[in-house]
Amino acid sequence: MSFNVLIVDDSNAMRAVIKKVIGLSGFKMDSCLEAGNGREAMELLSDQWVDVIISDINMPEVNGLEFLDLLKENETLKEIPVIMITTEASEQRMQEAFDRGAKGFIKKPFLPEEIKRVLYEVIGVGSDGQYEEDTRDADEFDF
Amino acid sequence: MGNTKKIQEMLMNSIFDVFEKMFFVFLEPCDEEMKYDLAASIEFSGPVKGNLRAYLSTGIANSMVENMLGLETNEITDKTREDCAKEALNMIAGSFVHKLDAGKVFDLSIPAYEKKAGRFGMESPGNVNLLFDSDGMSLGVSMSFYTEGK
Repeated sequence: MSFNVLIVDDSNAMRAVIKKVIGLSGFKMDSCLEAGNGREAMELLSDQWVDVIISDINMPEVNGLEFLDLLKENETLKEIPVIMITTEASEQRMQEAFDRGAKGFIKKPFLPEEIKRVLYEVIGVGSDGQYEEDTRDADEFDF
Repeated sequence: MGNTKKIQEMLMNSIFDVFEKMFFVFLEPCDEEMKYDLAASIEFSGPVKGNLRAYLSTGIANSMVENMLGLETNEITDKTREDCAKEALNMIAGSFVHKLDAGKVFDLSIPAYEKKAGRFGMESPGNVNLLFDSDGMSLGVSMSFYTEGK
């Protein structure tokens, strides 16, 4: 089983690094879409499906938190798990992101294995490639 | 802003962390004035407000691009140097404010970039100035805190 990933970050360099790291990590990625902010991401999602989104918070036009709100308002898109990847990792900011629907958090700078771990965690797939039921409550996420 | 030494240490650790993890560049602190070819800046606001500026030689910017993006020297452009410099500063600022107070929310501006040459040293304006060397390539980082009202 392989997955379609959308990376949302205003930095071309960071998008390239995340894409490279996902590829090198062994995560089974089918296609990788890229957007420079939340508005561009919503445009892409209007006619393309992805299995997981990795999004920065600090972006121009539509930032990561506003992007979460837009996804939440859409009956179909709200089901897509979103991982926030950001330098702004205060507990309050992370909680704000989780309250708005984020399913995972990666703090920059990151190690490659962290991306792979969080990706599989939010998609609910074990190392054997099979889906695993996520039975955690929101308050069980570690900050 | 009191306790400059502690602030300096936190900033230095943030810089080491970002450069080692994301750019595989290992820095040595130094105090010799440097020549820079490009600069980037970012503002932070929260319980305290201020800005952070990075001054980079072309050499260190090229190393960052090569190591982070896996590009060959002849593939490096001004745009890739700009992207890496801005992202580095964004990560340093985020790491620093987290060390400063992990329980408080800080907002970071979108980083700005200038391709301009100049000199940077310990005596340059700024509350905290740091200089680094990596195999003859130079990096300078300056942090200023805004006083009330700005």
